[in-house]
Amino acid sequence: MFDYKDLNLKIGLEIHQQLSTKKLFCQCSSNFKEEKLETEFSRRLRAVAGEQGYVDIASQFEEAKHREFIYHGYDDEYCLVDCDESPPYEINRDALITALSVAKLFNLNIPDKIIVMRKNITDGSTCSSFQRTMLIGYESGNSFIETSLGKVRITSLCLEEDACKIEKVEENKVYYSLSRQGIPLLEIRTEPDIKTPEHAKETAEKLGLILRSFPNIKRGIGTIRQDVNLSIKNGARVEIKGFQELRVMPKIIDYEISRQVSLIKKKKKVEKEVRKANENGTTSFLRPLPGSARMYPDTDLKQIIVTEELLSKIKIPELITDKIHDLQKKYKLSEELATELVKEKINFEDYTKRFKKISKGLLATILLTYIKEKKEHLEFVLDALNLEKITKDVVQDMLNELKQGKKINLAKYKSISNTEIEKEIKKIVKGKKNLTVNAIMGILMAKYRGKVDGKELIELINKYKK
Amino acid sequence: MKKNFGKAGDLVSVSTKDRTYFGTLIPSVDDDVITLKLDSGYNLGMRKDKIKSVKILKQISGKDSKKQLIVYNKNLPTISILHTGGTIASKVDYKTGGVVSAFTPEDLIEMFPELRDIANFKTRLIREMWSDDLRFKHFSILAREIEKEIKNNISGIIIGMGTDNLAVAAAGLSFALESCPVPVILVGAQRSSDRGSSDAFLNLASAALLITKTDFSGVAICMHENLNDKTCVIMPACKTRKFHTSRRDAFKIVNDSIIARVHYNESKVDFFKNNYIKKGEKLVIKDKFEEKVGLIRITVNMNAKQFLAYKGYKGLVIEGTGLGHTPLDVVDNETKEHANIKKALQELAKDTVLVMTSQCLFGRVNLNVYSKGRELQKIGVISGEDMLPETAFVKLSWLLGNHNKNDVKELIGKNLRGEINPTIKANEFLD
Repeated sequence: MFDYKDLNLKIGLEIHQQLSTKKLFCQCSSNFKEEKLETEFSRRLRAVAGEQGYVDIASQFEEAKHREFIYHGYDDEYCLVDCDESPPYEINRDALITALSVAKLFNLNIPDKIIVMRKNITDGSTCSSFQRTMLIGYESGNSFIETSLGKVRITSLCLEEDACKIEKVEENKVYYSLSRQGIPLLEIRTEPDIKTPEHAKETAEKLGLILRSFPNIKRGIGTIRQDVNLSIKNGARVEIKGFQELRVMPKIIDYEISRQVSLIKKKKKVEKEVRKANENGTTSFLRPLPGSARMYPDTDLKQIIVTEELLSKIKIPELITDKIHDLQKKYKLSEELATELVKEKINFEDYTKRFKKISKGLLATILLTYIKEKKEHLEFVLDALNLEKITKDVVQDMLNELKQGKKINLAKYKSISNTEIEKEIKKIVKGKKNLTVNAIMGILMAKYRGKVDGKELIELINKYKK
Repeated sequence: MKKNFGKAGDLVSVSTKDRTYFGTLIPSVDDDVITLKLDSGYNLGMRKDKIKSVKILKQISGKDSKKQLIVYNKNLPTISILHTGGTIASKVDYKTGGVVSAFTPEDLIEMFPELRDIANFKTRLIREMWSDDLRFKHFSILAREIEKEIKNNISGIIIGMGTDNLAVAAAGLSFALESCPVPVILVGAQRSSDRGSSDAFLNLASAALLITKTDFSGVAICMHENLNDKTCVIMPACKTRKFHTSRRDAFKIVNDSIIARVHYNESKVDFFKNNYIKKGEKLVIKDKFEEKVGLIRITVNMNAKQFLAYKGYKGLVIEGTGLGHTPLDVVDNETKEHANIKKALQELAKDTVLVMTSQCLFGRVNLNVYSKGRELQKIGVISGEDMLPETAFVKLSWLLGNHNKNDVKELIGKNLRGEINPTIKANEFLD
């Protein structure tokens, strides 16, 4: 679509990953259902000057809207800390150690003292009007990940509080749920080393997989979010937020590039701004790009001294990316299959030992396709397949019968020997000489459905039709 | 070799053995660490011994952020703000990492530009202190500062103060100002003004609205009504207490009800009482407070020495249990000390005015119901009625400072400033 190199496309990523520990600065759980509404209160937020005396333009913009923010507290999922009605408690140690471990893995420098900062945000998504965030690791000159298009450098790792989830927007009112507020978030930033939209997706996927190797990483919808920073020649830096799925990332990036290209063609200025990734593959304006004046130290918290004792708690797990690579190599699996096996935490090695006669690719495919089936049912079928009592084509039917509680008559599924089939083909061909391969196939499939392999059958028919 | 680490505000490049970092120097809390503000906005603490060199790229220009000039609006009334410190007018101090005060009218208008539409503001810094450090003398100092302001033809006074002892100071001032021509409203904040979620603005603006829009006079407290940034309540100075360490609606009324509710967004004040003091009274100040007054809280397992510590005091408020009780009875071997407590109270009663209040806070002291109460009366303990213990404490000090001992014993149980409510209603309790 575009010559990205010619456009001087530069893409950087920001990955936000939730942790499953308790909330970062209180004892609330990070699991939430938002079922029983307990509290509702209303706030107005104001723009305030940052450390260097400037009011951040992003904050001003939000304030200009003069909106009322209404917060919903759900039973057991929030406390006074989330309401900004109590100072924060001490930082959650498990979250801190996880963050330090990730920083170590990426070879990032860990500060001697960690300073908790307040990042001003006045869109109401935090009750306090700021998000607490701290730099856990910063570039060392040796912090990067390898990708198909070369190294992508890691700029920084931050540990921060997640913000409230938006519930609805009315004319001058925005409703938020407090349940997500305060959940620990890891934020990983890359340098703008990403070269193409597909490359962005690959890098995001890889970073996500690396994170999932660590303990205390939250799983499920909405637990990992990606922001894309991009710029092109004569354009401006734009941040795109809110990708629903990684799959659509390249399409949306391409849309944004074409938007900027057409503005440049019309000799219009491309503004630095934050844009939203829309479900239809486009982007739309959210707010001006915030500057760096939006941060100042949190005065309610002491600085965290990174002691030897703290550093000794760091543990680097075996990486999922390494596990995938090992599976690929050892069993000659595709990257896709290997990735899925690791993601689903299937002990593939154990299965290969038990079902030696099933080809590795087929075994992996069956395990992944029927992952939701009962283990005993699946193993019954795999056993039959391993003993060559059935063919792979009947796996689905057998599982269905097992699920319905039927007793399995293996004879029904018994695979038919090739000589028996050949005999049958000869009989048909002899009877009606004008039949096409497909017609013969149809007759045989009706008779032997599930007991023969379709591909093999065609080969056999072809033998007699030549 | 001594390295030059630059000074706060300088744009620098800092080299360690690995690489070089760019940023602005921020004052650091520790001498062995420099704090660098990176382009991303994050502050990075770096140990000086790990730094190879610091290159100053651009020195601080010394230019401060622009402050808005304040224009006097002759169509608006003028309010005088007397600052004493506290969260209400505080900003972040990047040197200590703590919160410091910002008191000039410029600071105030810069933080809350909307105030310009309500009134003209004069601000004066009386003290920069925690309200925890207040002494009786400060009530007198504040009363005299109020006197000075009133001479300048102002519509009302707002006193900004730390919330910890704000209610006690309100009681102190309401006694010191026997009558006053303008309202004196005490305002605090539970979240500092440097954060977008601060409650300071609504509290200040609501006090200003009360002063400019109504005929209310007298001493009162203006703070958030609940967790919503919608309404503030005007609370009686002597019947209000801080009940929460951190909530914005920490202040609640005890044995009384709200005077008025201020709806800032609708620019409206609703009164719930009509017997409040109106503007235009003569200024009468009685600002003497007796220093030797104490407050003792009754607990289990007390001993006589704790009471005798107040020997020589002119007055002692007892925060008793229930209707107003102390340990007095010897019922077994374990309670022998109670005989000594009784003796200690009898000893104290010779020179000290003893006033009973209740740690229940809600409800009235009654020394007639149980024999223990009657025993205490016999010793000479006087009922503090439904007064808050802290209010009774301040009142006793003020009475002893301005009246003779016999009058004090007479006046302690009489309502002078709304500190005693003769008719506590059913709805004047926790929800």
